[in-house]
Amino acid sequence: MTELMTLQNVSVHFPVRGALPFLKKGEIQAVSNVSLSIHRGEIFGIVGESGCGKTTLASTMVGMIKPTAGQVLFEGVDLNSLPRDEFKKTRRRMQMIFQDPFSSLNPRFNVYQIVSEPMFIRGEDDEETMKARVAELLEMVGLSAGDMYRYPSDFSGGQRQRIGIARAISLNPSFLVCDEPVSALDVSIHAQILNLLLELQEKLNLTYVFISHNLADVKKLCDRLAVMYLGKIMESGDSDKIFAQPLHPYTQALMAAVLDINFSEQKETEILPGDTPSPINPPPGCRFWQRCPKAMRGCKAIPPEYVEVEQDHFVACHLVNGFPDQDMPEGYDQPLVRLKTVRGR
Amino acid sequence: MGEGRVMEQVLKLRNLKVVFPTDYGLIRAVEGVDLDIYHRECVALVGESGSGKSVTSQAVMRLLDSPPALIRVDTLEFAGQDLTQLTEQQMQEIRGKEMAMIFQDAMTSLNPVMTVGKQIDEVYRRHYGDSKQAAREKTVKNLELIGIPEPKERANAFPHQLSGGMRQRVLLAMAFACMPKLIIADEPTTALDVTIQAQVLKTLRGMQRGCGTSLLLVTHDLSVVASTADRVYVMYAGKIVEKAPVKDLFTAPHHPYTVGLMAAVPKLSDEKKKFTQIPGTVPSPIDKPSGCYFHPRCTYATERCRREMPRLTPMGPDREVRCFHPLSVGRNGHD
Repeated sequence: MTELMTLQNVSVHFPVRGALPFLKKGEIQAVSNVSLSIHRGEIFGIVGESGCGKTTLASTMVGMIKPTAGQVLFEGVDLNSLPRDEFKKTRRRMQMIFQDPFSSLNPRFNVYQIVSEPMFIRGEDDEETMKARVAELLEMVGLSAGDMYRYPSDFSGGQRQRIGIARAISLNPSFLVCDEPVSALDVSIHAQILNLLLELQEKLNLTYVFISHNLADVKKLCDRLAVMYLGKIMESGDSDKIFAQPLHPYTQALMAAVLDINFSEQKETEILPGDTPSPINPPPGCRFWQRCPKAMRGCKAIPPEYVEVEQDHFVACHLVNGFPDQDMPEGYDQPLVRLKTVRGR
Repeated sequence: MGEGRVMEQVLKLRNLKVVFPTDYGLIRAVEGVDLDIYHRECVALVGESGSGKSVTSQAVMRLLDSPPALIRVDTLEFAGQDLTQLTEQQMQEIRGKEMAMIFQDAMTSLNPVMTVGKQIDEVYRRHYGDSKQAAREKTVKNLELIGIPEPKERANAFPHQLSGGMRQRVLLAMAFACMPKLIIADEPTTALDVTIQAQVLKTLRGMQRGCGTSLLLVTHDLSVVASTADRVYVMYAGKIVEKAPVKDLFTAPHHPYTVGLMAAVPKLSDEKKKFTQIPGTVPSPIDKPSGCYFHPRCTYATERCRREMPRLTPMGPDREVRCFHPLSVGRNGHD
């Protein structure tokens, strides 16, 4: 399989300023040192809790945010080294579907204006072609051509999300980033939209990046995935391998926290204590050590390496990869005894 | 719950109807809802957006402004008291002390310019007339009970200084402050992350059992219901469509809507690349279909369903279903 999108050591940092503009307080390391490859024709999932940097990472992929360090390669070309008009041309082939269908559509535009806006900006088509194309797109996403002159307020959440999808595919992109496309929708509509995305993928040969906090959706939908925590990738690779045998304690905890409606299988699970720490000036070691049930003393100071443990299965954890051999302080591999327990009941 | 019958009934609601007149027509938000909650019980009210579940819970606390809402109710009894006869002032004595509410978004339901400690103190000072010091002592104890580390320091924090899970815990502490008889939790964990959701639900359930409170859990999330509730009411377009003990509901749902909802919830054990969906959308509250409100989306709909609204019919112990063709155990496979 060929790689469509490659991230090499990508970091995105945002400065946080203090009371006066020249007093720098620190930085939010929204994404730090992330390397990934996304293959053509697959659905790649990014999972994590709020504030872990998954949306920032996605925005970096489509060039909406410039990385502080590292490279974003789309079909082998570094996006951020392209001259402006080249960049704009490449950018057409990657589109985004947003989470909230209520704020991502301009309420004063009718459906035709919303869906044709990308074509309008490209400026290659006349009115007639655009109309025909919009009608075709609306049919494709399960609306009808007659909806063209209605406004977003006339539609329900699910229908609005369909409009957003029609807009995203209007320029025939090859790469689509879906940022929590169903989390604002009702359960019964949820499945309709995901089925539509699958159908479109087959029809239009799309590659998806699917961002979600819902592990069950990701498991069903994605071929490969990455689990993020506080700006770093904890585990990534083949979806089946990760779900069959999650190696990172955070992945394991996330899976245990999924409530199941299968009543016979209700189980008492170990609940991860504490909250996600602030991404401003994070600890030098493993970012998960404060909440990790299996943390060792060395985890606090030494950041784990991101290692391929089997084919297409990467993990960043000392438990799996072991500590480096030299210069280790005394008792680094002993379990961490927390003086002040982070309680969560 | 079988033994629930001999226990004290905390809430008895009969035939609640709520209508909002608008320029486009009448929004019939709630159409004849009956609700019973017994002592120490956790009852879930499940439905999608627009099903009328939040309006029902607000009507129980008499929090709906009328006008605009037009409210009709045959019986609204709380702990033997007829709430419909109380003045607004008497209601204020009950709210917070005997029944309390937890809202979805902790950031908007807490006062941003007041420390969280002070906001909880208020409950004690208002309802028990405690002094500042006495109230603060109780607050700190309460925060500790709810699982907030360093409660004394945290009491002096402002809401924005706390994380989402912490803020939700503060709301829990506030609701449990006076050990009320009934707590209504409206989507208490929807805005939270999965790991935090698990923590907060566990705390909520633990506190509810420990304090002997009854809980009305209003949610759209069936997985939360399965792990938390004792009995469940399923609402669709302003009507209760199914009522059952939680175990019976999840092992053998009878109403086609309930069956569809359960199939639509993605599960870790499901097969890949295929999502079971309910066709169509929730009907507009102004223009509801004839007959059974679910018939346009129902695969089992017949001519009778299009004509007539089915009644809630008893189906075994403590179970009722509003359907002419309830699915029996043999029929409700994944077809």
